[in-house]
Amino acid sequence: MKSAPFDYVRPESVAEASALLAQDGVTTAAIAGGQSLIPMLSLRAAQADLLVDVSRLDELKAVRETPQALHIGALTTHAAIEDGKIPDPFNGLMRRVASTISYRAVRNHGTIGGSVALADPAADWPGCLMALGATVHIAGPGGTRQQPVVDFVKGLYETTLASGEIVIGFDVPRPTSPLCWGFAKVVRKSGAFANSIAIVVAPGKGGPITAVLSAAGPRPIALANAARALGNGAMSDDTLRTAIAADLKADLPGADAYEQRLHTATVLRAAREMQATS
Amino acid sequence: MASHPPSDGWIGASLKRKEDARFLYGHGKYIADVRMPGVQDVAFVRSQVANGRLRSVTKPEGGSANVFTLADLQPLTVLEAGPELPQHKLSPYPPLADERVRYVGQGIAACLAPTRAIAEDLADRVTVDIEQLPAVVDCVAAMQPGSPRVFDHWADNAYITSNVVEGSPQVLTSAPVRVRRQFRMNRQATVSLECRGVLAYWDHRTNELVVYLSTQGGHVKRIGLSRILGLPENQVRVIAPDVGGGFGGKNRLMPEDVAVAAIAMKVGHPVRWIEDRREHLIASVHARDHTYDLTLSADKDGTLLGVEGDIYIDAGAYALWPTGAFQEASMASRNLTGPYRIRHLNLKTYTVATNKAPMGPYRGVARPGACFAIERLVDEMARELGREPFDLRRQNIVTAAELPYDTAAGMRLDTGDYVEALDTARDMVDLAAIRKRQAEGEPDGRAIGVGFAFYTEQSGHGTAEFAKRKFRVIPGYESANARMLPDGSVIIHVGVQNHGQGHETSLAQIAAHELTIHPDRISIRYGDTATSPMGFGSFASRSIVFAGGAVAHSCRALVEKIRKIGAHLLQTDVANTRLQGGAVHGPSGKVDLAEIAFVANARQEQLPTGMAPLLEAVGTYEPTVSGGVFAYGTHAVVVAVDPDSGVVELLDYAVAEDCGTMINPLIVDGQVQGGIAQGIGTALYEEIPFDELGQPLATTFGDYMVPCAPEIPDVRLAHLVSPAHATEYGVKGLGEGGAIAPPAAIANAVADAFRDIGARFNETPLTPRRVSEAIDRARREKGAA
Amino acid sequence: MKITLTLNGSKVTHDVEPRETLADFVRDRCGLTATHLGCEHGACGACTVVLDGEVTRACLMLAVMCDGRTVETLEGFRNHPAMEVIRKHFHECHGLQCGFCTPGMLLMARDILARKPGCDADTVRYELSGQICRCTGYSGIVKSIVSAGQELAGKAPAKA
Ligand SMILES: Cc1cc2nc3c(=O)[nH]c(=O)nc-3n(C[C@H](O)[C@H](O)[C@H](O)COP(=O)(O)OP(=O)(O)OC[C@H]3O[C@@H](n4cnc5c(N)ncnc54)[C@H](O)[C@@H]3O)c2cc1C
Ligand code: FES
Ligand code: FES
Repeated sequence: MKSAPFDYVRPESVAEASALLAQDGVTTAAIAGGQSLIPMLSLRAAQADLLVDVSRLDELKAVRETPQALHIGALTTHAAIEDGKIPDPFNGLMRRVASTISYRAVRNHGTIGGSVALADPAADWPGCLMALGATVHIAGPGGTRQQPVVDFVKGLYETTLASGEIVIGFDVPRPTSPLCWGFAKVVRKSGAFANSIAIVVAPGKGGPITAVLSAAGPRPIALANAARALGNGAMSDDTLRTAIAADLKADLPGADAYEQRLHTATVLRAAREMQATS
Repeated sequence: MASHPPSDGWIGASLKRKEDARFLYGHGKYIADVRMPGVQDVAFVRSQVANGRLRSVTKPEGGSANVFTLADLQPLTVLEAGPELPQHKLSPYPPLADERVRYVGQGIAACLAPTRAIAEDLADRVTVDIEQLPAVVDCVAAMQPGSPRVFDHWADNAYITSNVVEGSPQVLTSAPVRVRRQFRMNRQATVSLECRGVLAYWDHRTNELVVYLSTQGGHVKRIGLSRILGLPENQVRVIAPDVGGGFGGKNRLMPEDVAVAAIAMKVGHPVRWIEDRREHLIASVHARDHTYDLTLSADKDGTLLGVEGDIYIDAGAYALWPTGAFQEASMASRNLTGPYRIRHLNLKTYTVATNKAPMGPYRGVARPGACFAIERLVDEMARELGREPFDLRRQNIVTAAELPYDTAAGMRLDTGDYVEALDTARDMVDLAAIRKRQAEGEPDGRAIGVGFAFYTEQSGHGTAEFAKRKFRVIPGYESANARMLPDGSVIIHVGVQNHGQGHETSLAQIAAHELTIHPDRISIRYGDTATSPMGFGSFASRSIVFAGGAVAHSCRALVEKIRKIGAHLLQTDVANTRLQGGAVHGPSGKVDLAEIAFVANARQEQLPTGMAPLLEAVGTYEPTVSGGVFAYGTHAVVVAVDPDSGVVELLDYAVAEDCGTMINPLIVDGQVQGGIAQGIGTALYEEIPFDELGQPLATTFGDYMVPCAPEIPDVRLAHLVSPAHATEYGVKGLGEGGAIAPPAAIANAVADAFRDIGARFNETPLTPRRVSEAIDRARREKGAA
Repeated sequence: MKITLTLNGSKVTHDVEPRETLADFVRDRCGLTATHLGCEHGACGACTVVLDGEVTRACLMLAVMCDGRTVETLEGFRNHPAMEVIRKHFHECHGLQCGFCTPGMLLMARDILARKPGCDADTVRYELSGQICRCTGYSGIVKSIVSAGQELAGKAPAKA
């Protein structure tokens, strides 16, 4: 289980990295933590002619707080978030999510930027950042751009990243009042990629509610009916189940009976956890 | 690391393991750690289709000298494998494919290069042309007329079928209560953490082929390699370095072993292949894959009468040398009565060829399936009769007064108290308290269930038993060569293989007991056919019984001579001497073993007249009873199940077990705990599913779930001790027992949680999906009724 | 590509292929075989090493990415005081059988106890997720780490 040969460069700047990645006629890939890319290369499930190591680029490491948002550099590791090494205006949600990703040794190197750029349907960050209304910052040969994560992640391992583009980081808006949240995840075993992840958030008691379901379809799904029902103060299981069923029917028409029960259960659990903290 | 002598002798001492130190400092030397100058690595080109005609293999330009197909390995003799029975159909298994491939992962070509990475590059450039044929994937459908064939010349896909009829079948058909169920224990891998590996070279100095092999038994592999390669056995040396787990998966001669050895004989340098995890999951020994359709009958008062029905074993595409997977069916059927007074059997077994990787042994061999089937049936019968499953078990289990007990299928259960094991486990989990908790319900909407399973573990079975099973190589004894060196320290070579079981410690304890010296003065050596006496290796829970006995016998032979020399030095009669505390004591004084050893080895003039020098003895051993001695135990599990997600949490796990005399309780506990974790893997996590084309769907640890610490509860153990009569010290083997009962106990617990709706949990692993779907089905059926 | 890194306290320089993992680098170039390979895709923990102070799966790291950095394998912890305590408890609590997972378990144990000194058995179990041991059923390993943690934290040894 050894990778096919490739070349490797470690550019000094984002511009240089972007130019290297944008080369014609060469299959290139950025490598950050390598925690997803290296096993794919070793299994020869992915091949590249050139790896561009972005893991030492300072611009991707920046973490800044503004009154409106927290900027999280793409290279921020899951472990740094888990350990509270970056500010946490989210009342512990991101720390909690981080602590359930894979295993500690993977979390030490795996990055939030890599996770979102890869857009694995079972990954934890895309759904979480969607729930928090985050925006992704991207630099490329044509300059920089920003896009809500919800639009950035298009489908199964598919994003709007164009050739030569690099994820610089994320702006996550500060909640207007202390975040109430619930997080539920079903895994076959601890640290494995999930079969269902639900996140329900509300900025403060009575704030607008967002509910996101991941690991269910090709990309995370915003559950509009469930959020509305919760916003209307729905407390009974039955009302919520009906709302979730409507969401699944609309956004996950292929789900079989078990998947419907499974996702309903995680969304319910997350909703209950959110309500308990509000 | 110092070990502290217990006050009361070495048998039964929880001595800390002598082998630990090297592993704790990273000095273990496993096959991939063996450094050999000039070694080249092999990567295999493997079949990507399950069944097909191999039309051609095109070697890449510039690399063809380093690509080997079957033709390049000749001359080879493909060995007959499986039981030596005329009705058993043969499935010749060449080390690389000939004109046919029969499972995804079968080796087609071997590519040799200075590193594994470059060998894989070369393998990527080999072109293979295969005409795909319909695959045989389901072992029950494979027995239907019109099914495609795995072997064209066979009349049907069964390697072998058999009937097991005991008592009277009419009792079964006319029984007042009959419960029929289908069970499946799905296919899995053995998953030693160290994969397999082989390194071979021709040693010109000794003029022999040296084969380093990660194996559970080198001597038997040497027999096979020598026959296949056409070399006399004195020119084949098999060395097993440290082995990172085996569990059955390293106990057959595998095609890669042969291919690498054959290539090493062609090229002038060492050649090695280190299995990677994907190869391990796709093409190493597979296990379990049992399907049952059984009916359990009983009287109205709950007296169990008998079992009838069919047992299918999906044995995969070939028989592995020497014995393949052919004890699965006989052991499954013979163990189906469990510990119960069940006198009537009418079973038909089918060992079926399919287009999947060949099946081999895995910890527990067949009994996890049999235990799952009978223990689930007992619970289902209890429900049918409106009884507490525990009570029905207790009513039918063989009592201490009935032991030894001959089961309907001809096994003699020897010593113990099965009822006490049941009661102990019941009290450990507090059955009454759980019933009360269930009545109250859970605040989180989950359901609580409790399940029991009883197992027996035949161990230390010998010549007659294996001869009956028609083994090609009969592992009916073990041997030990004990040698006392001039300073009185001891080296004992044994034919078993240590791959985690702690033999370096427990066998040293036995020798220490016999020789009355400290185990630190005794080295246990194994794993090299050039130095170990003939033996069969470690499997089938046999090592402590057989090798323990052989060590005892070889040491006793030493003791006899030691006492003679001691008596001579003390100028007294042997009858007046005794060995104690490392010295021979006589009426007038004592003489230390070190002095005796020095005399025997280096001062022969002081020996009694006519006595040959040296203190060295080879002892062989087989227990006095060939049918084995039976360890046993009860597993009790409490689970919480979320019906929507189907996730099962193990809240409590308790075991009351009896493996006779424990040589080292610390090691016993470790074996039981380790076995249970593997059993939990079978019960809840591990599975290699196949699609209809025969493609395996779990090829990495991303899909194949091996439980880690968070998935395994803190198991509580209670030991009963009923020494065996037929073995040295009363030991019984216990390596496999832990792995046998968990699927049955856990499935019973999950079923108990949903007994009100009669949901059926009859297929392992109990994945969240299977569990939730079973509950949903039962709810709908109940709603409809 | 030529790389230089600090390995177990010494500077080492080697010419490596970019595709070479850190695991293959320490095992094959540097002859340090305590780092084992159990899966080569990040799911078993047998290859655990320490990179710039953080536990790392050596099969998920390229050697070229470690240029200029600091790597420690189990061999680098020969006389390490905390590791000696952890070893002692693995020995006493039967925390190993075949030994193949042991180097990874020891390095992970040290990391857990450094982050969560004196933690309880449930925490240890959770933190061990992703470290496969096929032999012990984990109970000896969990016990070893809990009791080592107690000794290192200066607490009285736990009752069994
Ligand atoms: C055993 C195991 C279990 C795991 N379980 C989970 C899990 O449960 N949940 C989960 O969310 N993740 C899981 N992961 C994945 C882990 O979180 C990865 O760290 C993460 O997905 C990728 O981050 P990385 O920095 O390692 O990315 P890399 O592996 O370096 O790169 C991944 C992809 O992203 C691209 N990329 C990386 N950084 C950038 C960038 N800045 N700009 C543009 N493209 C970029 C790369 O080109 C590549 O295609 C698991 C991984 C392993 C090995
Ligand atoms: S070998 Fe690296 S995690 Fe398994
Ligand atoms: S001791 Fe064998 S894998 Fe852990």
